[in-house]
Amino acid sequence: MSYRYSDEHAPPAPQRASEVAVTTHEHVFEVDPRLMERWVLQQTFPNWDTLRIMHARHDHLDWMHAHFAQKTITGSDLIAEIENEA
Amino acid sequence: MWGLREVTALERPPTDLIDRVVERLAGVLRPDQILTAKTDRYNRARVPAPFPVHRWRERVPDLAVLPESTEEVAAVVAIANELKCPVVPRDGGTGLTDGAVPLRGGIVVDVKRMNQIHELDLENRTVTVGTGINMLKLNEVLGKHGLIYPDDPASYPCSLVGGRIGTSGWSLIGARYGHTRDLVLSFDLVLPTGEILHVGDGIGRQISKSSSGYQLKHLFMGHQGTLGIATKATLKLYPKPEAELSPFWAFDDYDAAYRFTGALARAGVATFAGAVLFDEWKVAYLRRDDEAYIPQPADVRALTCAVLYGWEDEVRVGGKRLFRIAKEHGARYLGDEISEGDWAARHDRYATPLHGRTKSGQVVPMSWHCEDAAVNYTRVPAVTKAWHEIVADLRRKTDVFDDWGMFAYTSADTGVDYLTEIDVGIWEQRLDDDAWAMWVRAKRDIAAAALAHGGSISACHGSCREGEVDLVPRELGRGFDVMLGVKRMLDPNNIMNPGKYLLDLAYQGGDLAARLAELRGEA
Ligand SMILES: Cc1cc2nc3c(=O)[nH]c(=O)nc-3n(C[C@H](O)[C@H](O)[C@H](O)COP(=O)(O)OP(=O)(O)OC[C@H]3O[C@@H](n4cnc5c(N)ncnc54)[C@H](O)[C@@H]3O)c2cc1C
Repeated sequence: MSYRYSDEHAPPAPQRASEVAVTTHEHVFEVDPRLMERWVLQQTFPNWDTLRIMHARHDHLDWMHAHFAQKTITGSDLIAEIENEA
Repeated sequence: MWGLREVTALERPPTDLIDRVVERLAGVLRPDQILTAKTDRYNRARVPAPFPVHRWRERVPDLAVLPESTEEVAAVVAIANELKCPVVPRDGGTGLTDGAVPLRGGIVVDVKRMNQIHELDLENRTVTVGTGINMLKLNEVLGKHGLIYPDDPASYPCSLVGGRIGTSGWSLIGARYGHTRDLVLSFDLVLPTGEILHVGDGIGRQISKSSSGYQLKHLFMGHQGTLGIATKATLKLYPKPEAELSPFWAFDDYDAAYRFTGALARAGVATFAGAVLFDEWKVAYLRRDDEAYIPQPADVRALTCAVLYGWEDEVRVGGKRLFRIAKEHGARYLGDEISEGDWAARHDRYATPLHGRTKSGQVVPMSWHCEDAAVNYTRVPAVTKAWHEIVADLRRKTDVFDDWGMFAYTSADTGVDYLTEIDVGIWEQRLDDDAWAMWVRAKRDIAAAALAHGGSISACHGSCREGEVDLVPRELGRGFDVMLGVKRMLDPNNIMNPGKYLLDLAYQGGDLAARLAELRGEA
């Protein structure tokens, strides 16, 4: 864990994602900091922790699929089948 | 009318009564099963629905107990009945209508230690469990046998079988597998007098359909712990699905998504487990904070998702039928990643943001509140409009409330009725008495709008919270008088979760008919 090193506290420069959100790491969205100045202040997370939370989220979603069914069927698969049949 | 008897509603029990209760309980439970510490009691007064936290003290029990068997629950309730001390059953504590919140102090009976799997019958496809078990934990075990207990509320990871019985819960995949009332075959129940009763179809433990006698199972489900404590339940099992399909489609406007949702539900596809309609407010809300929707183009204004479970070959055929309907309706498929990810996130995306916005856009800490109703398909748009107007009016007055949008979920496999849900962010730290009064009025208006459109106040959570509860006698009509009679007969001392569902009326003197007429707006 490298939380003691300052570069770990410097996420990639934010890109505007919408009027109210920015994105930093790939797939990581954050509230525009200007909207978190009064009642709730934004905290700085070490990069590894941000990425850990994001990956844990994906692990959780995969777990939930496997918990309810042995496999998932994708919509794109079915659309392709319908098009082939046409 | 019922012959009235003068029984004063229990107020908070005096300290000497609690001392006697604790002393007597020590004869039937071990010391570690009797909890009197402040933290144990305060934690068991909390439920997720926001409330005025400065009044937390009013909801705290005098003690909590952790029984481990039906007999121990019966012994606790018998003592409480003899000493006339209130008892409140509590399971996961996730209920959204304050059912597990003690309104008169007394004993909280926390059934979480009764979480055993007693018997798994692979031939008859049933499992018998303690009612303190959680569905997720149960399904981890059943999965090893290729089986599933498909009661899937959004609170799936944290609500428990007894609470599902106490609320007669609603399941996200109920259009395929039924809801809690269909999935629970029978259960043991400790009555308010401490007697033990088994209810099911007939006297069966594993019978799914009987015509013998009154159908008591339904009476003892959804009573919010006012008629007894379920301790051991036998549940119906299904094969764990081989395949899951959960497509999400986008629309430019609500009306098109609404028509499409109806068409999916009416299609008669056997593996169809449910459809969900997201209205424009919901999409706008998700667009603020949800990684899947922030990048969506502006013309994504309403959504429909459907979910299918079953064997792979069946799901493929059924799924293709739904995709053909989608094409006819001009639905835009949102892609595999969102479709799969969002369905898998169904248990946590409601409450997770834990923040809302002031009118100026600043982020504030907020808790999630959800009002629900059961409404026919043809009335969903009108109820949606009415509810948003009620919440918009609140928001005009104060930043304490934020409209987080609405879902409409299919309840049945034919598309007859929908669980409509409005999610409201509430700034709980600012919920003073004035804001609370405003919210209670809004809740009453929300319930009244559902009734005005021929619906029921709740499809899911129950309707015993301040605000909506006043309208229950109106909704149930003469059926409410029957509820009062049943309550008084089964709970002569009003010890079982007193103060809920206006059931204290069963014990009060005076002109009951006049009071009911007043509540029904007939006076
Ligand atoms: C995020 C979230 C999502 C939700 N989604 C859904 C949903 O999709 N569908 C749905 O139906 N609900 C939903 N709910 C509401 C709640 O989860 C359900 O009402 C659930 O059935 C309550 O179960 P519990 O174990 O938490 O019960 P509790 O909250 O402990 O109790 C609920 C009621 O039942 C009584 N009770 C508890 N145990 C017993 C018992 N053993 N015998 C008799 N009565 C008892 C209590 O006194 C109380 O009145 C949601 C809640 C949350 C927080």
